[in-house]
Amino acid sequence: MQRENFENWLKNIYETQEEEISCTECFDLVSQFVELETSGQDAAAKMPDVKQHLKQCPACRTEYETLRDLRRLEEEGGIPSLGDLQDLIP
Amino acid sequence: MLWMANTRTNEEWLEELRASRAKQEAAIADLRNLLLRTVLFFFSHNLRDFERLARDEILQLAEDCAQDALIAVMNHLSDFRGDSKFTTWVYKFGVNIALMAARRERWRGVSLDQLPFGVDGALSEWVLRDKSAELTSDLYVMQSEIREMIREVIEQDLTAKQRRVLILMVFNEVPMDEVARQLDTNRNAIYKMLHDARRKLKNRLQARGFDIGEILAIFSVQR
Repeated sequence: MQRENFENWLKNIYETQEEEISCTECFDLVSQFVELETSGQDAAAKMPDVKQHLKQCPACRTEYETLRDLRRLEEEGGIPSLGDLQDLIP
Repeated sequence: MLWMANTRTNEEWLEELRASRAKQEAAIADLRNLLLRTVLFFFSHNLRDFERLARDEILQLAEDCAQDALIAVMNHLSDFRGDSKFTTWVYKFGVNIALMAARRERWRGVSLDQLPFGVDGALSEWVLRDKSAELTSDLYVMQSEIREMIREVIEQDLTAKQRRVLILMVFNEVPMDEVARQLDTNRNAIYKMLHDARRKLKNRLQARGFDIGEILAIFSVQR
């Protein structure tokens, strides 16, 4: 086990809450969370349960990060075309 | 090149996806294109998951994922509350299905029983891989004490299922969706088991008088 991973895990243990939302609840709310962030609002303050879940759940966090990146691209003019994305596959 | 078909408003998307034939077909075609690009976006950022696949196989897998995501979106259309852009809401279905497919490919053929930490909870070989200099004797004693306490909780206080999931995910670093797939369960159940395990560990460490600052300082002081 890498020391960095162990430290992150220790942090996760200490940030554990008695009640935490499930992955299904996070999935339901994460698009709203990303939208708040995109509009410059404090999503973590408005949706602390989602923020907490994203810290603790690697799968939901990966999905959130990709969703956030896609939303940013859309804001900047659009996500790449199908042809451009196919060209990225070796 | 960017692709700008997302010019519909939320209301227009919903209206056209629920419309009669011709209008609906056009909206569904655009939706499918959007989902395929979502899946390919994820795949292109996670190429190491597909090292065993040829390009054609990856592209076919993306098509299959986009189709599954399209069905999921259409089945959940009534769940859309309008608290985000419709396309943001759509992306998450594509990303979710792409992530599960990618991790499944990476772990295809790998048995969980072959991993370094046994599923019986045996942590006797547990060491932290560390490039830092040798620890001072005081630090070594403190780190050993904390690790021993964690080992005790894992081996004695957790249920067999909690222990198995914790060791797979935290010690063997197996992705959550792969653990869920191989144990024939789902993400929610895995998260719940990990949450319960974290709660027990937190309570036990706090009962012994340790706080997070103290423990992190003990483990990170060498860097």
